[in-house]
Amino acid sequence: MATKKKRTLSAQNDSWVVIAPDSVVDTQKHDSDPSFVRLRNPLTDEASLYMLGSGDVQLFEVKAFEEDFHSWFVGQTVQRDGRLLFITPMDPLYLILPYLIKSGKEGKFQPVDQVVMDEEFPACSRLLSCTHSLASLRHIAEEKEVANLKFHRYSQEKTMDWLKKKVERTVAALKKRHISVGEGVKSSTYVRVKSEPDHNEEDYLRYAHGLISEYISEDLSKDLLRHLKLPELTSPKETEPPSKKRKLSDTPVEAGEDYTKFNSADFVRKPPKKMTSAQKTLAKVDKTGMKPMSSFFSPKAKAEKK
Amino acid sequence: MSCNTSVTRVQLPPAVDQVPRVPVHLMPCEIEHDGPAQVSQYLTATTKDCKQEKTVSFRGRGLKGQELSCPQGYTGLVLKEINKPGSDQEDRTVKLTSTFDKLTYWNLETPTNSDDTVVMAMDWPELAEAIHGPVED
Amino acid sequence: MDLSSFESNNSVSCRLASQIPDVCRTEDCCLGIDEAGRGPVLGPMVYGICFCPVSKKEELKNSKVADSKTLTEDERENLFEKLDEAKSYVGWALQILSPNTISTSMLQRTKYNLNALSHDTAIGLVQYALDSGVQLTEVFVDTVGPAEKYEEKLSKLFPGIQVTVRPKADSLFPIVSAASICAKVARDRVVKGWSFAEDLGEVDTDYGSGYPNDPKTKAWLLKYLDPVFGYPQFVRFSWSTAQTLMDSKGVTVHWDDDDEDREKAAQRLNKKSMLSYFGASSGSKAQNPTHETHRFFTERRLKNLNTL
Repeated sequence: MATKKKRTLSAQNDSWVVIAPDSVVDTQKHDSDPSFVRLRNPLTDEASLYMLGSGDVQLFEVKAFEEDFHSWFVGQTVQRDGRLLFITPMDPLYLILPYLIKSGKEGKFQPVDQVVMDEEFPACSRLLSCTHSLASLRHIAEEKEVANLKFHRYSQEKTMDWLKKKVERTVAALKKRHISVGEGVKSSTYVRVKSEPDHNEEDYLRYAHGLISEYISEDLSKDLLRHLKLPELTSPKETEPPSKKRKLSDTPVEAGEDYTKFNSADFVRKPPKKMTSAQKTLAKVDKTGMKPMSSFFSPKAKAEKK
Repeated sequence: MSCNTSVTRVQLPPAVDQVPRVPVHLMPCEIEHDGPAQVSQYLTATTKDCKQEKTVSFRGRGLKGQELSCPQGYTGLVLKEINKPGSDQEDRTVKLTSTFDKLTYWNLETPTNSDDTVVMAMDWPELAEAIHGPVED
Repeated sequence: MDLSSFESNNSVSCRLASQIPDVCRTEDCCLGIDEAGRGPVLGPMVYGICFCPVSKKEELKNSKVADSKTLTEDERENLFEKLDEAKSYVGWALQILSPNTISTSMLQRTKYNLNALSHDTAIGLVQYALDSGVQLTEVFVDTVGPAEKYEEKLSKLFPGIQVTVRPKADSLFPIVSAASICAKVARDRVVKGWSFAEDLGEVDTDYGSGYPNDPKTKAWLLKYLDPVFGYPQFVRFSWSTAQTLMDSKGVTVHWDDDDEDREKAAQRLNKKSMLSYFGASSGSKAQNPTHETHRFFTERRLKNLNTL
C-alpha cells in the first residue's frame, strides 16, 4: 500500500458550522446584526469569544465541539475544519462580576458604567445594554439611588446567594437530563452508564459547583464551596508548587493613587491589565519558579475574607 | 494574539428562510480540502438506511451514521467569511450562507450510540440555559 | 443464475445457490471450490462451490468442464448451461464479495486481509453445503496461499471429509473446474451489468479486463477519479493502484487509525501540554495553568474559543 501522506497544517478557515438559538437569527427583531466579540473570561482572565445579539440585548457564549480527525460535508462542499460551534445564552452577570469585585475593594458605591470598563476589552461596556443586566445587578451588589442615579457596591453575601441559586438550577437540569455525575474514574472509552441510581445529592452539588466554577474566579469558587457547605477535596493539583498557581494579589491594583477620585463622575478607570512592553516580554518567558507577574498586575482582586 | 478590540459582524439576510437549508455530514476523518464536493452523487446516493442505522463507505472505509436534530429552540448555521481583512485589527464580517435543522454524524466502523461524544455535546444547550438563565428571588 | 438479489444492493456480500439435488442428500458427494476475480481492481470477487455425487464424477468429466481461464466468455456461458442441465445431480452455490466488501474489509481498523477473507468465504460455502444436507466426503480446493497449511486448516474444520488443496486444482479436478465456471460466469455477468449506486449519469463501461496493468482499466481509473470521494464503489479502494492514483490526484484524507497520523497527533498534544505546563499561551487557546476544565466539557470535547 502506498505510504500515507503527512498531515499538513490547516490554513485559517473561512467557514464555520454553528448551532445557535433561534433568536440569534430571528431577523424580525433585528435592528442590527449580531457580532462576535472578545471579552475577559472571568475564570482565566484572558480573552474568550462571546457573541452579542442584535442590539446587544443578549449575550452568548461560544464553545467548540472539537475532535481530532473530523471534517464536514456542507451541502455540496467539503469543509476541512470539523468543529461544531455552540452558541448558547450567557448570563452577563458572570462577566460583570469581576469588575464589580475589583471596584468593591474600594468600598465605595459607584455608577456601574464606570466600573465595567476595560481598555483591553472595550466591548465590555456593551454588557450593560443586555436585557436584565442592570435589573439583575441587585443579585451581586447593593444598590443606592441618589437623584435618579444608581450606584452599586459589590456584595459577597448576595453573590453567594445568587451563585447558590445557580447551582440549584444546574442540579435540577443535570437530573432532568440524566447526566452522570458520579465521582468514579471515567474509563478511557467514555462509557456513560445511564441509570446510576446511587448518585447522591453531594455528587450533584459538586458537579454543578464545578460547572458554575467555569464562570467565576477560583477564589469565588472556593468561597462558594464553603457556602454550599461542601468540604474541599484534596486533589493532586492542590499540591502543585505555588508558582504554578493562579495567585491573586491582595494588593489593590494601582495602589498609591488617590482613591477619593474614584467617586468623581469624570473618573476614567485605568485599564486593569495594560502591560508595559517590559511586562509583555516577561510574560512570554518561562515563568516556572518565579512568582507570577499576574500577582502584580492582575485585575482580579481576592474576594473578601469573611 | 489577535486584537481584542476587533469584532466580527454576522451578516444576516432580511429573512432566514431565504438562505438554503442544506444537508450536513460530520465525517470521522480529516479531509484536507475546502471547496466543492459531489456529496449527493457519491455519499447520499450510496447511503443505506436500515433499522435506524445508516451505512455508507467513504474512500473504501465503512462508516455507520446517525441523524441528530438540533436541540429544541436551536438552528444550525453555516457562516462564511467573504473578505478576510489583512490585519487582525480590522473588524471582520461573516455571512450566513445556509442553515440546517439536523446533521448526520458518521463513525468509522463503530455502531452509533448515545455515548458518542457529539450526541453528548448536544446536552450543552440545555445545561447552558440552567447555568445562565435568570434566577428568581 | 438469478443475480437480482445481489444487484438490488451491490455494496454488500451476497450468496446465490442452485437447488440442492436430492441425490446429493443421499449419496456420498465431492465438492470443488474456486474463485474468480481475485486480482482485478474493479468489480466483485466471486467464490464458487460445485458438488455432485462421487459416482457421477466420470459424467462430469465427459461434459468437458475444463479450467475456466482457458475458455472464452461464450464457452463458459455454454458450459454453465450444461451444468444447469445436469441439475438433477450437480448443485452449486456462490458467494459474491462486492468490491465495497473487499475495500472495507481490507481497510478495516483491524485489518482483514484478502487471504483470510477468501478462507472464511470458502469455509462458509462448505458449511452451507453441509447445512443443506449434502453428504460431503471429498473437498477439492484451488490453493490460496500455502497449500499444506490451508489443507490442514480445512481438514481440522471438517473432520471426516477428505480435503485436497492443490495449486491449479481447477485444471486437475473437474468438480473444481465446474465451480470455477460458476464463479467466473457470475463475475462476468456482475461486471457487465454493474449498476452504479453513485449518481454519475452515463458511465463509460469500457473498463477493459479490470486488471491494474490493463491500459483500458488504467484509463478508466483516471477518468473516474473524484478528488474528494475517490471512486465509485465498483473500485477496490484497497488496491495499491487505486490508492496511488488517489494519493497523487485526489485530496488527502486522514483517519484516526493512520499510524503516522496518530504519532503526529500525540506529538502535538505533548507539545501543547508542555506549553500549558509552563503557563505560556499556546497559540490560539487561552490556557490557565492550574485550572482543569470541568469534565462535563472535556468528556463532550467542548472547549472555549478566543477567536473565530
